[in-house]
Amino acid sequence: MNVPTPAAPARPGTSDSGRCAAPIPARAGIGLRAQHYKEVIENRPPIGWLEVHSENYFGESGAPLYYLEQARRHYPLSLHGVGLSLGSTDELNWSHLHKLKALIARFEPGLVSEHLCWSSVNGRYLNDLLPLPYTEEALSHVTDRIRRVQDFLGRRILIENLSSYLQYTHSTIPEWEFIAEVARKSDCDILLDVNNVYVSSVNHRFDPQRYLEAIPPSKVREIHLAGYTVNRYPEGEVLIDSHGARVFDDVWVLYRQAVKQLGAVPTLIEWDTDIPALDVLVDEAHKADRVLEEIRDLVA
Amino acid sequence: MISLREIQTRFADSIFAKEDTGFEKYIVPGAFPPERHVQIYRNNVFAGLTDALQDVYPVVTRLVGEGFLKYAADTFIRRHPPRGGNLHDFGGEFAEFLAGFPPAVKLEYLPDVARLEWAYHRVFHGPDHAPLKQEALTAVPAGRYGELKFALHPASRLLSSDYPILRIWQVNQPGYQGDDTVDLSEGGVSLLVVRRDITVEIQPLSKGEFALLQTLAAGKTFESACTAALSAEPDFDLTGSLRRHVQNATLVDLHF
Repeated sequence: MNVPTPAAPARPGTSDSGRCAAPIPARAGIGLRAQHYKEVIENRPPIGWLEVHSENYFGESGAPLYYLEQARRHYPLSLHGVGLSLGSTDELNWSHLHKLKALIARFEPGLVSEHLCWSSVNGRYLNDLLPLPYTEEALSHVTDRIRRVQDFLGRRILIENLSSYLQYTHSTIPEWEFIAEVARKSDCDILLDVNNVYVSSVNHRFDPQRYLEAIPPSKVREIHLAGYTVNRYPEGEVLIDSHGARVFDDVWVLYRQAVKQLGAVPTLIEWDTDIPALDVLVDEAHKADRVLEEIRDLVA
Repeated sequence: MISLREIQTRFADSIFAKEDTGFEKYIVPGAFPPERHVQIYRNNVFAGLTDALQDVYPVVTRLVGEGFLKYAADTFIRRHPPRGGNLHDFGGEFAEFLAGFPPAVKLEYLPDVARLEWAYHRVFHGPDHAPLKQEALTAVPAGRYGELKFALHPASRLLSSDYPILRIWQVNQPGYQGDDTVDLSEGGVSLLVVRRDITVEIQPLSKGEFALLQTLAAGKTFESACTAALSAEPDFDLTGSLRRHVQNATLVDLHF
Protein backbone atom coordinates (compact mmCIF):
# COMPACT_ATOMS: atom_id res chain seq x y z
CA MET A 1 0.00 0.00 0.00
CA ASN A 2 1.25 3.45 -0.79
CA VAL A 3 -0.95 6.22 0.54
CA PRO A 4 0.38 9.70 -0.18
CA THR A 5 0.49 12.09 2.76
CA PRO A 6 -0.65 15.57 1.75
CA ALA A 7 1.87 18.35 2.28
CA ALA A 8 0.95 20.67 5.13
CA PRO A 9 0.07 24.24 4.12
CA ALA A 10 1.77 27.09 5.95
CA ARG A 11 -1.54 28.13 7.46
CA PRO A 12 -4.59 26.01 8.22
CA GLY A 13 -7.43 26.99 5.90
CA THR A 14 -11.13 26.45 6.36
CA SER A 15 -13.06 24.00 4.23
CA ASP A 16 -16.49 24.69 2.75
CA SER A 17 -18.13 22.76 5.59
CA GLY A 18 -17.02 25.46 8.02
CA ARG A 19 -14.65 22.97 9.56
CA CYS A 20 -10.97 23.75 9.80
CA ALA A 21 -8.96 21.99 7.05
CA ALA A 22 -7.37 18.69 7.97
CA PRO A 23 -3.61 18.99 7.33
CA ILE A 24 -1.50 19.56 10.42
CA PRO A 25 0.66 22.68 9.95
CA ALA A 26 4.38 22.65 10.79
CA ARG A 27 3.69 24.51 14.02
CA ALA A 28 3.25 23.58 17.64
CA GLY A 29 0.03 22.00 18.88
CA ILE A 30 -1.24 20.88 22.25
CA GLY A 31 -3.01 17.83 23.61
CA LEU A 32 -6.69 18.64 24.20
CA ARG A 33 -7.85 17.48 27.63
CA ALA A 34 -11.34 17.51 29.16
CA GLN A 35 -10.36 20.22 31.68
CA HIS A 36 -9.72 22.62 28.80
CA TYR A 37 -12.63 21.84 26.45
CA LYS A 38 -14.65 24.96 27.17
CA GLU A 39 -11.71 27.33 27.33
CA VAL A 40 -10.27 26.08 24.03
CA ILE A 41 -13.62 26.29 22.28
CA GLU A 42 -14.53 29.73 23.66
CA ASN A 43 -11.14 31.46 23.63
CA ARG A 44 -9.48 29.66 20.72
CA PRO A 45 -5.88 30.09 21.86
CA PRO A 46 -3.35 30.77 19.08
CA ILE A 47 -2.00 27.26 18.61
CA GLY A 48 -1.54 25.43 15.35
CA TRP A 49 -3.48 22.24 16.01
CA LEU A 50 -4.83 19.81 18.58
CA GLU A 51 -4.18 16.17 19.38
CA VAL A 52 -6.35 13.76 21.39
CA HIS A 53 -6.02 10.17 22.52
CA SER A 54 -8.20 8.24 20.08
CA GLU A 55 -9.58 5.87 22.75
CA ASN A 56 -10.99 8.75 24.82
CA TYR A 57 -13.47 9.22 21.97
CA PHE A 58 -14.47 5.56 21.55
CA GLY A 59 -17.75 6.21 23.36
CA GLU A 60 -20.92 6.11 21.28
CA SER A 61 -21.91 9.70 22.03
CA GLY A 62 -21.98 12.19 24.88
CA ALA A 63 -19.87 15.09 26.11
CA PRO A 64 -16.36 14.13 24.89
CA LEU A 65 -17.47 13.70 21.27
CA TYR A 66 -19.64 16.82 21.49
CA TYR A 67 -16.72 18.97 22.62
CA LEU A 68 -14.34 17.41 20.13
CA GLU A 69 -16.75 18.32 17.32
CA GLN A 70 -16.72 21.93 18.52
CA ALA A 71 -12.94 22.05 18.80
CA ARG A 72 -12.50 20.41 15.39
CA ARG A 73 -14.31 23.32 13.72
CA HIS A 74 -11.46 25.61 14.66
CA TYR A 75 -8.34 23.43 14.64
CA PRO A 76 -6.74 20.69 12.60
CA LEU A 77 -6.75 17.47 14.61
CA SER A 78 -4.36 14.58 15.13
CA LEU A 79 -5.54 11.25 16.56
CA HIS A 80 -3.03 9.52 18.81
CA GLY A 81 -3.73 5.93 19.87
CA VAL A 82 -2.56 4.46 23.15
CA GLY A 83 -4.33 1.08 23.20
CA LEU A 84 -4.04 -0.69 19.84
CA SER A 85 -1.20 -2.95 21.00
CA LEU A 86 0.45 -3.03 17.56
CA GLY A 87 3.29 -5.30 18.65
CA SER A 88 1.18 -7.89 20.48
CA THR A 89 1.27 -11.54 19.41
CA ASP A 90 -2.50 -11.75 19.93
CA GLU A 91 -4.72 -11.28 16.86
CA LEU A 92 -5.24 -7.63 15.91
CA ASN A 93 -8.09 -6.16 17.93
CA TRP A 94 -10.63 -5.65 15.15
CA SER A 95 -13.35 -4.08 17.27
CA HIS A 96 -10.76 -1.51 18.37
CA LEU A 97 -9.78 -0.91 14.75
CA HIS A 98 -13.41 -0.52 13.67
CA LYS A 99 -13.88 2.16 16.30
CA LEU A 100 -10.71 3.93 15.20
CA LYS A 101 -11.78 3.81 11.57
CA ALA A 102 -15.18 5.32 12.42
CA LEU A 103 -13.50 8.06 14.45
CA ILE A 104 -11.21 8.86 11.52
CA ALA A 105 -14.18 9.05 9.14
CA ARG A 106 -16.01 11.37 11.52
CA PHE A 107 -13.22 13.80 12.42
CA GLU A 108 -10.96 13.79 9.33
CA PRO A 109 -7.71 13.98 11.29
CA GLY A 110 -4.57 15.26 9.57
CA LEU A 111 -2.47 12.60 11.27
CA VAL A 112 -3.15 9.24 12.91
CA SER A 113 -0.50 7.75 15.17
CA GLU A 114 0.14 4.67 17.31
CA HIS A 115 3.02 3.43 19.43
CA LEU A 116 5.73 0.99 18.40
CA CYS A 117 5.02 -1.24 21.37
CA TRP A 118 2.77 -3.95 22.72
CA SER A 119 0.31 -3.66 25.61
CA SER A 120 -1.59 -6.94 25.67
CA VAL A 121 -1.09 -10.67 25.47
CA ASN A 122 -3.38 -13.68 25.96
CA GLY A 123 -6.33 -11.27 26.01
CA ARG A 124 -5.11 -9.29 29.01
CA TYR A 125 -4.36 -5.59 28.50
CA LEU A 126 -1.84 -3.80 30.68
CA ASN A 127 -2.76 -0.27 29.57
CA ASP A 128 0.94 0.52 29.31
CA LEU A 129 3.37 0.96 26.44
CA LEU A 130 5.70 -2.04 26.69
CA PRO A 131 8.89 -2.37 24.65
CA LEU A 132 9.40 -5.03 22.01
CA PRO A 133 12.61 -7.00 21.91
CA TYR A 134 14.45 -5.62 18.89
CA THR A 135 14.82 -8.88 16.97
CA GLU A 136 14.21 -9.99 13.37
CA GLU A 137 11.10 -11.84 14.56
CA ALA A 138 9.62 -8.74 16.20
CA LEU A 139 10.57 -6.62 13.18
CA SER A 140 8.75 -8.85 10.73
CA HIS A 141 5.79 -9.31 13.11
CA VAL A 142 5.17 -5.63 13.74
CA THR A 143 5.84 -4.67 10.12
CA ASP A 144 3.16 -7.08 8.97
CA ARG A 145 0.71 -5.77 11.58
CA ILE A 146 1.27 -2.12 10.60
CA ARG A 147 0.68 -3.00 6.96
CA ARG A 148 -2.59 -4.73 7.86
CA VAL A 149 -3.69 -1.81 10.01
CA GLN A 150 -2.89 0.68 7.23
CA ASP A 151 -4.72 -1.45 4.68
CA PHE A 152 -7.76 -1.60 6.94
CA LEU A 153 -7.75 2.11 7.76
CA GLY A 154 -6.99 3.06 4.15
CA ARG A 155 -4.29 5.48 5.25
CA ARG A 156 -0.78 5.74 6.46
CA ILE A 157 -0.15 5.88 10.18
CA LEU A 158 2.73 7.22 12.24
CA ILE A 159 4.48 5.05 14.80
CA GLU A 160 5.98 6.57 17.92
CA ASN A 161 9.18 5.57 19.73
CA LEU A 162 8.77 4.75 23.44
CA SER A 163 10.44 5.60 26.67
CA SER A 164 11.63 2.31 28.14
CA TYR A 165 12.83 1.04 31.49
CA LEU A 166 14.42 -2.22 30.45
CA GLN A 167 16.33 -3.76 27.58
CA TYR A 168 16.15 -7.40 26.51
CA THR A 169 19.22 -9.61 26.44
CA HIS A 170 18.09 -11.15 23.15
CA SER A 171 17.65 -7.86 21.24
CA THR A 172 19.95 -7.85 18.23
CA ILE A 173 19.11 -4.50 16.59
CA PRO A 174 19.57 -1.03 18.12
CA GLU A 175 16.20 0.64 18.76
CA TRP A 176 16.94 3.50 16.30
CA GLU A 177 17.66 1.06 13.49
CA PHE A 178 14.61 -1.01 14.41
CA ILE A 179 12.15 1.90 14.17
CA ALA A 180 13.74 3.20 10.95
CA GLU A 181 13.51 -0.28 9.44
CA VAL A 182 9.90 -0.76 10.55
CA ALA A 183 8.97 2.57 8.92
CA ARG A 184 10.73 1.62 5.67
CA LYS A 185 9.38 -1.92 5.47
CA SER A 186 5.79 -1.17 6.43
CA ASP A 187 5.60 2.12 4.54
CA CYS A 188 4.47 4.03 7.60
CA ASP A 189 5.69 7.34 9.00
CA ILE A 190 7.35 8.19 12.30
CA LEU A 191 6.24 10.24 15.25
CA LEU A 192 9.53 11.08 16.91
CA ASP A 193 9.09 11.64 20.64
CA VAL A 194 12.19 13.64 21.51
CA ASN A 195 11.51 13.38 25.24
CA ASN A 196 11.32 9.60 24.89
CA VAL A 197 14.64 9.52 23.03
CA TYR A 198 16.15 11.54 25.86
CA VAL A 199 14.59 9.47 28.66
CA SER A 200 15.69 6.17 27.11
CA SER A 201 19.17 7.54 26.34
CA VAL A 202 19.65 8.36 30.03
CA ASN A 203 18.12 5.10 31.25
CA HIS A 204 20.07 2.92 28.81
CA ARG A 205 23.15 5.12 28.44
CA PHE A 206 23.28 5.71 24.71
CA ASP A 207 24.00 8.85 22.72
CA PRO A 208 20.67 10.45 21.75
CA GLN A 209 22.35 12.15 18.81
CA ARG A 210 23.08 8.73 17.36
CA TYR A 211 19.36 7.94 17.61
CA LEU A 212 18.40 11.12 15.74
CA GLU A 213 20.93 10.44 12.99
CA ALA A 214 19.47 7.00 12.30
CA ILE A 215 15.94 8.33 11.74
CA PRO A 216 15.14 8.98 8.05
CA PRO A 217 14.08 12.67 7.96
CA SER A 218 11.52 12.12 5.20
CA LYS A 219 9.59 9.74 7.48
CA VAL A 220 9.15 12.08 10.44
CA ARG A 221 5.74 13.75 10.26
CA GLU A 222 5.35 14.76 13.89
CA ILE A 223 7.41 15.38 17.03
CA HIS A 224 6.30 14.99 20.65
CA LEU A 225 7.67 16.95 23.58
CA ALA A 226 6.83 16.41 27.24
CA GLY A 227 8.22 16.50 30.75
CA TYR A 228 9.57 13.49 32.61
CA THR A 229 9.88 12.53 36.29
CA VAL A 230 13.02 11.31 38.07
CA ASN A 231 12.50 8.23 40.26
CA ARG A 232 15.22 7.66 42.81
CA TYR A 233 16.15 4.16 43.93
CA PRO A 234 18.96 2.92 46.20
CA GLU A 235 20.97 1.99 43.07
CA GLY A 236 20.43 5.26 41.23
CA GLU A 237 17.92 7.26 39.17
CA VAL A 238 15.49 6.27 36.46
CA LEU A 239 13.74 8.81 34.24
CA ILE A 240 10.02 8.11 33.87
CA ASP A 241 8.03 9.47 30.94
CA SER A 242 5.25 10.96 33.07
CA HIS A 243 3.91 13.74 30.83
CA GLY A 244 3.40 15.76 33.98
CA ALA A 245 5.85 18.68 33.76
CA ARG A 246 7.26 21.34 31.47
CA VAL A 247 9.77 20.19 28.86
CA PHE A 248 13.24 20.01 30.45
CA ASP A 249 16.16 22.10 29.16
CA ASP A 250 18.14 19.09 27.94
CA VAL A 251 15.14 17.99 25.90
CA TRP A 252 14.80 21.45 24.35
CA VAL A 253 18.45 21.18 23.30
CA LEU A 254 17.80 17.78 21.72
CA TYR A 255 14.65 19.14 20.06
CA ARG A 256 16.64 21.94 18.47
CA GLN A 257 19.07 19.38 17.08
CA ALA A 258 16.20 17.25 15.85
CA VAL A 259 14.51 20.01 13.89
CA LYS A 260 17.87 21.09 12.44
CA GLN A 261 18.15 17.60 10.99
CA LEU A 262 14.51 16.98 10.18
CA GLY A 263 13.27 20.45 9.27
CA ALA A 264 10.19 22.16 10.68
CA VAL A 265 7.89 19.32 11.75
CA PRO A 266 4.50 19.66 13.55
CA THR A 267 5.36 19.49 17.25
CA LEU A 268 3.04 18.52 20.09
CA ILE A 269 3.26 19.52 23.74
CA GLU A 270 1.96 16.48 25.68
CA TRP A 271 0.73 16.81 29.23
CA ASP A 272 -1.37 13.98 30.66
CA THR A 273 -0.92 14.01 34.46
CA ASP A 274 -1.27 16.96 36.86
CA ILE A 275 -2.65 18.91 33.94
CA PRO A 276 -1.89 22.63 34.36
CA ALA A 277 -3.77 25.75 33.27
CA LEU A 278 -4.22 26.03 29.51
CA ASP A 279 -1.88 29.07 29.46
CA VAL A 280 1.02 26.86 30.54
CA LEU A 281 0.45 24.51 27.60
CA VAL A 282 0.11 27.43 25.19
CA ASP A 283 3.32 28.92 26.56
CA GLU A 284 5.20 25.66 26.01
CA ALA A 285 3.76 25.47 22.49
CA HIS A 286 5.02 28.97 21.76
CA LYS A 287 8.50 27.97 22.89
CA ALA A 288 8.42 25.16 20.33
CA ASP A 289 7.06 27.58 17.72
CA ARG A 290 10.06 29.86 18.28
CA VAL A 291 12.43 26.96 17.62
CA LEU A 292 10.52 26.08 14.46
CA GLU A 293 10.72 29.72 13.33
CA GLU A 294 14.49 29.80 13.88
CA ILE A 295 14.86 26.74 11.69
CA ARG A 296 12.76 28.28 8.95
CA ASP A 297 14.86 31.46 9.07
CA LEU A 298 17.98 29.35 8.91
CA VAL A 299 16.74 27.52 5.84
CA ALA A 300 15.56 30.78 4.20
CA MET B 1 15.98 -17.71 21.18
CA ILE B 2 12.84 -17.05 23.21
CA SER B 3 9.86 -16.31 20.97
CA LEU B 4 8.07 -12.96 20.96
CA ARG B 5 4.93 -14.61 22.28
CA GLU B 6 6.79 -16.29 25.11
CA ILE B 7 8.58 -13.11 26.23
CA GLN B 8 5.29 -11.17 26.17
CA THR B 9 3.53 -13.85 28.18
CA ARG B 10 6.28 -13.95 30.79
CA PHE B 11 6.44 -10.15 30.98
CA ALA B 12 2.66 -9.87 31.57
CA ASP B 13 2.75 -12.71 34.13
CA SER B 14 5.55 -10.90 35.98
CA ILE B 15 3.43 -7.75 36.13
CA PHE B 16 0.21 -9.40 37.32
CA ALA B 17 1.67 -12.15 39.49
CA LYS B 18 4.66 -11.87 41.74
CA GLU B 19 5.99 -15.41 41.49
CA ASP B 20 9.04 -16.09 39.35
CA THR B 21 8.10 -16.37 35.69
CA GLY B 22 11.63 -16.73 34.33
CA PHE B 23 11.29 -13.29 32.72
CA GLU B 24 14.06 -11.55 34.60
CA LYS B 25 16.88 -13.45 32.92
CA TYR B 26 15.95 -11.71 29.67
CA ILE B 27 16.58 -8.24 31.14
CA VAL B 28 19.97 -6.68 30.38
CA PRO B 29 21.76 -6.34 33.72
CA GLY B 30 22.98 -2.89 34.58
CA ALA B 31 23.00 -0.57 37.56
CA PHE B 32 19.68 -1.99 38.75
CA PRO B 33 18.71 -5.50 39.81
CA PRO B 34 16.33 -7.09 37.26
CA GLU B 35 13.39 -6.99 39.66
CA ARG B 36 13.72 -3.19 39.79
CA HIS B 37 12.91 -2.97 36.06
CA VAL B 38 9.88 -5.19 36.50
CA GLN B 39 8.82 -3.17 39.53
CA ILE B 40 8.92 0.09 37.51
CA TYR B 41 6.60 -1.42 34.91
CA ARG B 42 4.36 -2.97 37.57
CA ASN B 43 4.05 0.44 39.26
CA ASN B 44 3.19 2.11 35.94
CA VAL B 45 0.59 -0.52 35.06
CA PHE B 46 -1.10 -0.51 38.46
CA ALA B 47 -0.96 3.29 38.82
CA GLY B 48 -2.50 3.73 35.37
CA LEU B 49 -5.29 1.23 35.95
CA THR B 50 -5.95 2.51 39.48
CA ASP B 51 -6.31 6.04 38.07
CA ALA B 52 -8.75 4.72 35.50
CA LEU B 53 -10.77 3.05 38.28
CA GLN B 54 -10.75 6.23 40.37
CA ASP B 55 -11.97 8.24 37.38
CA VAL B 56 -15.01 5.99 37.06
CA TYR B 57 -15.57 5.62 40.83
CA PRO B 58 -14.87 9.04 42.39
CA VAL B 59 -17.56 8.67 45.08
CA VAL B 60 -16.41 5.18 46.10
CA THR B 61 -12.88 6.63 46.28
CA ARG B 62 -14.06 9.45 48.55
CA LEU B 63 -15.98 7.05 50.76
CA VAL B 64 -13.10 4.66 51.37
CA GLY B 65 -10.15 7.04 50.89
CA GLU B 66 -7.42 6.81 48.25
CA GLY B 67 -5.27 4.45 50.31
CA PHE B 68 -7.99 1.85 50.65
CA LEU B 69 -9.03 2.29 47.02
CA LYS B 70 -5.45 1.55 45.89
CA TYR B 71 -5.39 -1.51 48.14
CA ALA B 72 -8.67 -2.81 46.69
CA ALA B 73 -7.59 -1.91 43.14
CA ASP B 74 -4.44 -4.00 43.52
CA THR B 75 -6.49 -7.18 43.96
CA PHE B 76 -9.23 -6.12 41.53
CA ILE B 77 -6.78 -5.45 38.66
CA ARG B 78 -5.16 -8.89 39.05
CA ARG B 79 -8.57 -10.55 39.05
CA HIS B 80 -10.24 -8.43 36.34
CA PRO B 81 -7.57 -6.94 34.06
CA PRO B 82 -8.78 -4.93 31.05
CA ARG B 83 -9.82 -7.09 28.10
CA GLY B 84 -9.38 -4.39 25.45
CA GLY B 85 -7.47 -1.24 24.68
CA ASN B 86 -10.53 0.94 25.29
CA LEU B 87 -10.37 1.80 28.98
CA HIS B 88 -14.03 2.86 29.01
CA ASP B 89 -14.81 -0.85 29.26
CA PHE B 90 -12.56 -1.47 32.25
CA GLY B 91 -13.91 -1.72 35.79
CA GLY B 92 -17.45 -3.00 35.25
CA GLU B 93 -16.99 -5.81 37.80
CA PHE B 94 -15.93 -3.46 40.60
CA ALA B 95 -19.30 -3.38 42.41
CA GLU B 96 -19.48 -7.16 42.47
CA PHE B 97 -15.85 -7.34 43.53
CA LEU B 98 -16.42 -4.93 46.45
CA ALA B 99 -19.42 -6.98 47.59
CA GLY B 100 -17.11 -9.97 48.02
CA PHE B 101 -14.02 -8.09 49.24
CA PRO B 102 -13.72 -8.91 52.97
CA PRO B 103 -12.05 -5.62 54.06
CA ALA B 104 -15.00 -3.66 52.57
CA VAL B 105 -17.77 -5.90 53.79
CA LYS B 106 -18.85 -3.58 56.61
CA LEU B 107 -19.69 -0.83 54.12
CA GLU B 108 -22.84 -2.60 52.96
CA TYR B 109 -23.94 0.31 50.76
CA LEU B 110 -20.59 0.50 48.90
CA PRO B 111 -21.34 -2.01 46.09
CA ASP B 112 -24.57 -0.17 45.28
CA VAL B 113 -22.76 3.18 45.13
CA ALA B 114 -20.30 1.52 42.73
CA ARG B 115 -23.24 0.23 40.63
CA LEU B 116 -24.58 3.77 40.42
CA GLU B 117 -21.19 5.12 39.32
CA TRP B 118 -20.79 2.41 36.67
CA ALA B 119 -24.31 3.18 35.38
CA TYR B 120 -23.38 6.87 35.24
CA HIS B 121 -20.16 6.04 33.34
CA ARG B 122 -21.93 3.87 30.73
CA VAL B 123 -24.70 6.43 30.27
CA PHE B 124 -22.13 9.24 29.93
CA HIS B 125 -20.58 7.47 26.89
CA GLY B 126 -23.78 5.82 25.63
CA PRO B 127 -25.47 6.41 22.26
CA ASP B 128 -27.91 9.18 21.38
CA HIS B 129 -31.51 8.49 20.41
CA ALA B 130 -34.20 10.77 19.00
CA PRO B 131 -37.33 11.14 21.19
CA LEU B 132 -40.49 9.21 20.32
CA LYS B 133 -42.83 11.23 18.16
CA GLN B 134 -46.10 12.06 19.90
CA GLU B 135 -47.95 10.97 16.72
CA ALA B 136 -46.54 7.48 17.05
CA LEU B 137 -48.30 7.16 20.38
CA THR B 138 -51.58 8.77 19.31
CA ALA B 139 -51.68 6.57 16.20
CA VAL B 140 -51.99 3.47 18.38
CA PRO B 141 -55.62 2.21 18.40
CA ALA B 142 -57.03 2.55 21.94
CA GLY B 143 -57.77 -1.16 22.17
CA ARG B 144 -54.19 -2.17 21.47
CA TYR B 145 -52.32 -0.15 24.12
CA GLY B 146 -51.94 -3.21 26.31
CA GLU B 147 -49.93 -5.05 23.64
CA LEU B 148 -47.42 -2.21 23.13
CA LYS B 149 -43.77 -2.71 23.88
CA PHE B 150 -41.47 0.25 24.53
CA ALA B 151 -37.73 0.71 24.17
CA LEU B 152 -35.88 2.75 26.77
CA HIS B 153 -33.28 5.32 25.75
CA PRO B 154 -30.06 3.39 24.96
CA ALA B 155 -28.13 5.77 27.26
CA SER B 156 -30.18 4.90 30.34
CA ARG B 157 -29.96 2.51 33.29
CA LEU B 158 -32.39 1.53 36.05
CA LEU B 159 -31.18 0.52 39.45
CA SER B 160 -32.51 0.18 42.97
CA SER B 161 -30.83 -0.13 46.32
CA ASP B 162 -31.77 -0.80 49.95
CA TYR B 163 -29.58 2.20 50.85
CA PRO B 164 -29.94 5.96 50.19
CA ILE B 165 -27.30 5.86 47.44
CA LEU B 166 -28.55 8.98 45.66
CA ARG B 167 -28.08 11.04 48.83
CA ILE B 168 -24.65 9.44 49.34
CA TRP B 169 -23.74 10.30 45.74
CA GLN B 170 -24.97 13.89 46.05
CA VAL B 171 -23.16 14.80 49.27
CA ASN B 172 -19.93 13.40 47.82
CA GLN B 173 -19.94 15.52 44.67
CA PRO B 174 -17.11 18.05 44.32
CA GLY B 175 -18.30 21.46 45.46
CA TYR B 176 -21.21 20.06 47.49
CA GLN B 177 -22.00 22.38 50.37
CA GLY B 178 -24.35 21.84 53.24
CA ASP B 179 -25.16 19.03 55.59
CA ASP B 180 -23.23 15.97 54.46
CA THR B 181 -24.56 13.50 56.99
CA VAL B 182 -26.44 10.56 55.54
CA ASP B 183 -28.90 8.58 57.61
CA LEU B 184 -28.57 5.02 56.33
CA SER B 185 -31.89 4.14 57.96
CA GLU B 186 -33.72 6.57 55.65
CA GLY B 187 -34.09 3.55 53.40
CA GLY B 188 -33.66 2.51 49.81
CA VAL B 189 -34.16 4.24 46.51
CA SER B 190 -35.01 3.40 42.91
CA LEU B 191 -33.20 5.37 40.24
CA LEU B 192 -33.18 6.16 36.56
CA VAL B 193 -29.82 7.26 35.18
CA VAL B 194 -30.29 8.81 31.77
CA ARG B 195 -28.49 11.22 29.48
CA ARG B 196 -30.30 14.26 28.07
CA ASP B 197 -28.10 15.77 25.31
CA ILE B 198 -24.73 15.65 27.01
CA THR B 199 -25.86 15.86 30.62
CA VAL B 200 -26.32 12.75 32.76
CA GLU B 201 -29.30 12.94 35.12
CA ILE B 202 -30.04 10.71 38.09
CA GLN B 203 -33.77 10.69 38.84
CA PRO B 204 -35.35 9.09 41.88
CA LEU B 205 -38.38 7.03 40.84
CA SER B 206 -41.47 6.02 42.79
CA LYS B 207 -41.94 2.27 43.29
CA GLY B 208 -44.63 2.20 40.60
CA GLU B 209 -42.57 4.16 38.11
CA PHE B 210 -39.58 1.88 38.65
CA ALA B 211 -41.71 -1.26 38.20
CA LEU B 212 -43.25 0.21 35.02
CA LEU B 213 -39.91 1.09 33.43
CA GLN B 214 -38.16 -2.05 34.58
CA THR B 215 -40.88 -4.27 33.13
CA LEU B 216 -40.79 -2.36 29.84
CA ALA B 217 -36.98 -2.52 29.79
CA ALA B 218 -37.28 -6.31 30.08
CA GLY B 219 -39.20 -6.29 26.78
CA LYS B 220 -42.61 -7.07 28.28
CA THR B 221 -45.90 -5.52 27.19
CA PHE B 222 -47.37 -2.28 28.48
CA GLU B 223 -50.14 -4.32 30.08
CA SER B 224 -47.68 -6.37 32.16
CA ALA B 225 -45.82 -3.15 33.02
CA CYS B 226 -49.09 -1.59 34.26
CA THR B 227 -49.86 -4.64 36.36
CA ALA B 228 -46.38 -4.57 37.89
CA ALA B 229 -46.58 -0.81 38.53
CA LEU B 230 -49.99 -0.98 40.20
CA SER B 231 -49.04 -3.92 42.36
CA ALA B 232 -45.92 -2.03 43.52
CA GLU B 233 -47.88 1.21 44.04
CA PRO B 234 -51.69 0.87 44.07
CA ASP B 235 -52.47 4.57 43.44
CA PHE B 236 -49.82 4.97 40.73
CA ASP B 237 -50.59 7.54 37.99
CA LEU B 238 -50.09 5.36 34.91
CA THR B 239 -51.14 7.84 32.23
CA GLY B 240 -49.19 10.76 33.69
CA SER B 241 -46.07 8.66 34.11
CA LEU B 242 -46.22 7.26 30.58
CA ARG B 243 -46.71 10.74 29.12
CA ARG B 244 -43.82 12.16 31.13
CA HIS B 245 -41.40 9.41 30.14
CA VAL B 246 -42.29 9.74 26.48
CA GLN B 247 -41.97 13.55 26.59
CA ASN B 248 -38.57 13.52 28.28
CA ALA B 249 -37.29 10.70 26.07
CA THR B 250 -36.88 7.92 28.62
CA LEU B 251 -39.09 5.84 26.31
CA VAL B 252 -37.85 6.38 22.78
CA ASP B 253 -39.46 3.71 20.63
CA LEU B 254 -42.52 1.50 20.48
CA HIS B 255 -43.64 -1.58 18.61
CA PHE B 256 -46.14 -4.40 18.87
